[in-house]
Amino acid sequence: MDSPGLLRLRGVVKRFGNFTALKGIDLDIAEGEFFTIVGPSGSGKSTMIRLLVGMDEVTEGEIWLRDKRIDQTPANLRPTCMVFQSLALFPHMTVGQNIEFPMKIRKEAPAKRRARAEELLDLLRLPRRYYDKRISQCSGGERQRVALARALAFDPEILFFDEPLSALDYRLRKTLEKELKDLHTRTGKTFVYITHSLEEAMVMSDRIAIMKDGQFEQIAVADQIYSAPVSRFVAEFMGEVNLFPLRAGADGRIESPTLSVRPGVALSDLAPGHDGLLMVRPEYLRLADSGGSFDFTLSGVVHGEYALGSRIQYEIKTENGMVTVEKLREERLSAAEGQKVTLGFNAANTHFIGEAA
Amino acid sequence: MSTSRSTRIVLYVYGVIVIAFLYLPLVSVGFASVSQARYLSFPIKRYSTKWYGEAMASSTVSELLTTSLSVAVLVTVISVVVAFFGALAFARYHWRFRTTFQKLILLPIFFPQTVLGLALLMWFNSLGIIPTWKTAVVAHLVWIAPIATLIVAIRAYSFDPALEEAARDMGANTVTILREITLPLLMPGLVSAGLFAFLLSWGNFPLSLFTTGADSTLPEWLYAKMVSGYSPLVPTLGVMSVVGSFVLILAAFAVAWLVRVNRDARVAQD
Repeated sequence: MDSPGLLRLRGVVKRFGNFTALKGIDLDIAEGEFFTIVGPSGSGKSTMIRLLVGMDEVTEGEIWLRDKRIDQTPANLRPTCMVFQSLALFPHMTVGQNIEFPMKIRKEAPAKRRARAEELLDLLRLPRRYYDKRISQCSGGERQRVALARALAFDPEILFFDEPLSALDYRLRKTLEKELKDLHTRTGKTFVYITHSLEEAMVMSDRIAIMKDGQFEQIAVADQIYSAPVSRFVAEFMGEVNLFPLRAGADGRIESPTLSVRPGVALSDLAPGHDGLLMVRPEYLRLADSGGSFDFTLSGVVHGEYALGSRIQYEIKTENGMVTVEKLREERLSAAEGQKVTLGFNAANTHFIGEAA
Repeated sequence: MSTSRSTRIVLYVYGVIVIAFLYLPLVSVGFASVSQARYLSFPIKRYSTKWYGEAMASSTVSELLTTSLSVAVLVTVISVVVAFFGALAFARYHWRFRTTFQKLILLPIFFPQTVLGLALLMWFNSLGIIPTWKTAVVAHLVWIAPIATLIVAIRAYSFDPALEEAARDMGANTVTILREITLPLLMPGLVSAGLFAFLLSWGNFPLSLFTTGADSTLPEWLYAKMVSGYSPLVPTLGVMSVVGSFVLILAAFAVAWLVRVNRDARVAQD
């Protein structure tokens, strides 16, 4: 690598008995990056973070932090810190004592500890009088901030997050996602975050890694993962999607069992004699009945209409299964349930996934 | 939900009967202890505190109290230490035969104590150990340490292991984690376990009967006196024992309260 990352994993394997949770992970995380690992439960993301903070040992492979190999270093000697899913705030201590805990371990003077704790309360937008509050007196969002303040008091090289927002209600989660992103910018620290929520990952991250069965399927910036997934798994994991099988004949002509293809349409990633899946996100589908020319069209019957808040989702029943369409509220389709419609979209708004359907 | 008037009356009456059932025998013992007569008969003709005076002055009584107290204090200390590590082993670590071991450990609680006492006595004999109050400590522990472990384990199971992991992650070593996190959080469990251990040992008769040898604890002496040679010292010592236990419980609450007040004060000062 030309610019070695702050954190480097080389061939990291973790086995539990006969079960291999991580199958040879290579990863580079840059200094100051907000890096998110997304995956369904059982994908290995929790195992991964436990190895990174030192709560479990790697079976094979190496973990490097700057120029030090740390995979054999116990958790208490690593310069990293984690915000737990349960937050792990100490219930027998006050907010102040919680925040000062890492500084107390480092044997810093009480006055210095107190000053830093107050700085952190300010940074996390908690009133200073919270210093003397008990943890049980704090709300969910406040506890979240206390846990963050405590982790920052440790002054880690990397701050790890193990799904810390998963237990909160929707509105609070949305607020805290933005605050976390903001905090990342203000502190300039390297954040490594794991979650099963795509939305959370998209809002906050510089780069996202999609994990499946102990391996990374794709590592890229959020936009690229959304618009150009490398596999069906990533495409389906990253929100609603329509996938159509395609094939290019020997002459390069595109054939599809489900779509009508306009003659002359070509896809750069689809070589003659190969097949794969054409992905189109629901927001790129248009009604073709009212004219306009499209590279691909298909017809079906409006099956259902669901309000998603600012958007409306339609399910269109076709001969080959359901197709999902999403429209902004003010652009709602002028078609009632049960009505026959023709949908169209253009090659520019699609992404080709070169794998067998 | 509101209860009807008749239901309420039934509930009150039931409550009073339960309380009477529990406390009348104790109250009658109390009365017996302040009767001047040598033999127990109701109604009491002359009240007197003379038996309390005699109990205080008696060297037998002070010897009994010393033995009972030594046994109970040792049993309490050892049970709490064993319970602390045992509970952590159950709640924090996964090892082969853990659940089996857990059940085996609890089994002595379900043993009839007289059988257990006899078995232990035979065991001491075959090992060539002469029973004294020290062997009684061992006997009590067989029965009480599992109970204490159970009490601490309930507490240990209910606290999130992530708390210890978080402390380690922030640089704390094993000793610091124990001092700053584990011990303070288990403290309520340890205090109740200690209290139970003390009271169970203090009042124990069947195990002591078989395993104290020539020494005698308070319950043993009380029993012996009831069987042959009743004296009003029996109810007197009974009352003193109950009052002693009660004072101990109050003291434990007082300590817990003081710890909380002190902690809050320290927090406010910081």
